[in-house]
Amino acid sequence: MTQLLQLSISGLALGASYALIALGFSVVFRASRLFNFAHGELLSLGAFLMTALVDVLPWWLALLASACLTGGLAALLERTVLRRMVGRPVFTTIILTLFLGLLLRAAIVIAFGTDTRGMPTPWESMAEVQVGNATVLLSSLVSLGATTAVLVLLHALVQRTPLGVAMRAASESQEVSLALGIPVGRVLAFTWFLAGATAAVAGIFLGMFPRSVDSNLGYVALRAFPAIIVGGLESVVGAVVAAFMLGLLEVLSQAYVNPHLGAFGHNFHAVFPYAAMILFLVVRPRGLWGEHEVRRV
Amino acid sequence: MPTRPLVTRYEDDLKLLPGLWHKAGAVLGLAVALSYPWIVSTRWLTVGNLGLVAIVGAAALMVLTGFAGQVSLGHAAFLALGAYTVAVLGVKLGWPFWLALPLAGGVSAFVGVVIGAFALRLKGLYLAIVTLGLVFLTQHVLLAYPELTGGLSGTSVPMYWWFRGESGSAPSVGETWMLGSVVLGFERKLYFIFLLVAGATVWLTKNIQRSNSGRAMMAVRDQDLAAEVLGVAITQAKLQAFGVSSFLAGIAGAMFAFQQQYVTVEPPFDLNLSIQFIAMIVLGGVGSVFGAVSGALAFTFLSPLAETVGHSIPLINQLTSAQQSTVLLSIIVVLVLVLEPMGLFGVWLRVRRYFQAWPFRY
Repeated sequence: MTQLLQLSISGLALGASYALIALGFSVVFRASRLFNFAHGELLSLGAFLMTALVDVLPWWLALLASACLTGGLAALLERTVLRRMVGRPVFTTIILTLFLGLLLRAAIVIAFGTDTRGMPTPWESMAEVQVGNATVLLSSLVSLGATTAVLVLLHALVQRTPLGVAMRAASESQEVSLALGIPVGRVLAFTWFLAGATAAVAGIFLGMFPRSVDSNLGYVALRAFPAIIVGGLESVVGAVVAAFMLGLLEVLSQAYVNPHLGAFGHNFHAVFPYAAMILFLVVRPRGLWGEHEVRRV
Repeated sequence: MPTRPLVTRYEDDLKLLPGLWHKAGAVLGLAVALSYPWIVSTRWLTVGNLGLVAIVGAAALMVLTGFAGQVSLGHAAFLALGAYTVAVLGVKLGWPFWLALPLAGGVSAFVGVVIGAFALRLKGLYLAIVTLGLVFLTQHVLLAYPELTGGLSGTSVPMYWWFRGESGSAPSVGETWMLGSVVLGFERKLYFIFLLVAGATVWLTKNIQRSNSGRAMMAVRDQDLAAEVLGVAITQAKLQAFGVSSFLAGIAGAMFAFQQQYVTVEPPFDLNLSIQFIAMIVLGGVGSVFGAVSGALAFTFLSPLAETVGHSIPLINQLTSAQQSTVLLSIIVVLVLVLEPMGLFGVWLRVRRYFQAWPFRY
């Protein structure tokens, strides 16, 4: 029981980071109709900026600054390259973002080198706390708390503020929004900024002990894909819920499924979500919360 | 002036080589291909071999993505299956390459059709992510059976002319032949074998493109609902595309394994490989066999050039040579996508139109 509780908390903490990643993918997809494969590199850019900025700024300010810088870069990418892709086939945007990701990765390697870095934390990086009988890392609890706070804030922003209304309207129909006087360009830029900033926060928490920051951190975003697909690309809430489930599934299957599979079980938890996703999509091809599409010819 | 002959009959429109200029181009291409291994250095012969592998792989992806419009990030998985099939057949059973090669395609095609059946209901991004998952799953399965695949340390890929049999030895393609004063080393023999396979692949895909099944695939790509209403069997067209594509991808993987003589799972068979093949068909121009061939050749020949150029560019020369070529090729692909969406095929169309109308501008 103790082990289950312990694993559940670390699973939820992992799921929290996945949720931030999934959120970024999902808002960008809703706004720009493209799947940003460069998202993972924004994640590792945020983490690297944090390791550099923490030397000159207090920890919380460094967090804020790296989130803002990463968000700014995301907005810049949208404005300079990806906005030209409006109306082009899905295929084109997939390739373009894949290659932008490769370029970003190279830029990160040039700027920060290939060394593995530890993510600095204001608390003892290996500090543990007791929850009931279980011992969990303080970092896990903080990342769970911080992510929940960010998610609640964003939900309030989208549901309760004029900006949120503009965002929802722009993702519904850009033409109608423009006709109604909503500055769609600026709304798009803000959406991308949000995606970049949340990616940076996710990267910072993912870089903490027991993991570390290196140029391969961006690959973590690939592991969040099953959550986005199962949650349904259209639904931000669905993606976030599925991301928490994904974190749990990954940690629990590592502990309870891997040992039963013998040699095949080695690292099986890393691909298990993908296998689950493929089987799931056979039953529901548009995800859990995805809407059924009605098309005209 | 190279103008297209007036098409008066349906058969004329479907001809493999419609005009005199196409025939001249084909003869010229064949002459260059046949003389290439005799005039270049060993390094460029290796690049040429990789180019022929890339042609088969790119043509395979062109059938699935260019003709049928199914975006796949899982190309690397099919190549890996082909590569490991020939490795296992060669090491464990000692089969000759000409028997292992089609079997590698067969294994890969089987998996492709099964995945295709799964993928029938999926579209666009959903399909892209599922095929990406296929890459990870294939990697996992290959690493989980080290007694067959050698696990992380990889496996060698022998290339025999004939069955190894009881004696434990068979004539290998690796031996150098001397025919009088003509030297036929491993790479040169490989080149002619690969040229044959690549030629057959181009012929096959071109025939698919101009036949019923190819037109069905393109109808699915352009507007699947309308195609279905007009009586195109969508399921059949998609499964055919998956089958042909993964068959050829398996063969390309097998060729790659023979050329490398030793394969490991990762690298090369990861997401980056899938991306490279996508880059090839984008560079060449999506939707035509000419695009697949020119894109594959441009990509393979640019890589060593990019490494050479990369050393002299500040900032970029801090990277490893593989990363340098990745960066320079990424820049090229991004620029092509933004500025010339039709790729090299588009450039060719524009050049041709200019000369057809010359001396007028239109």
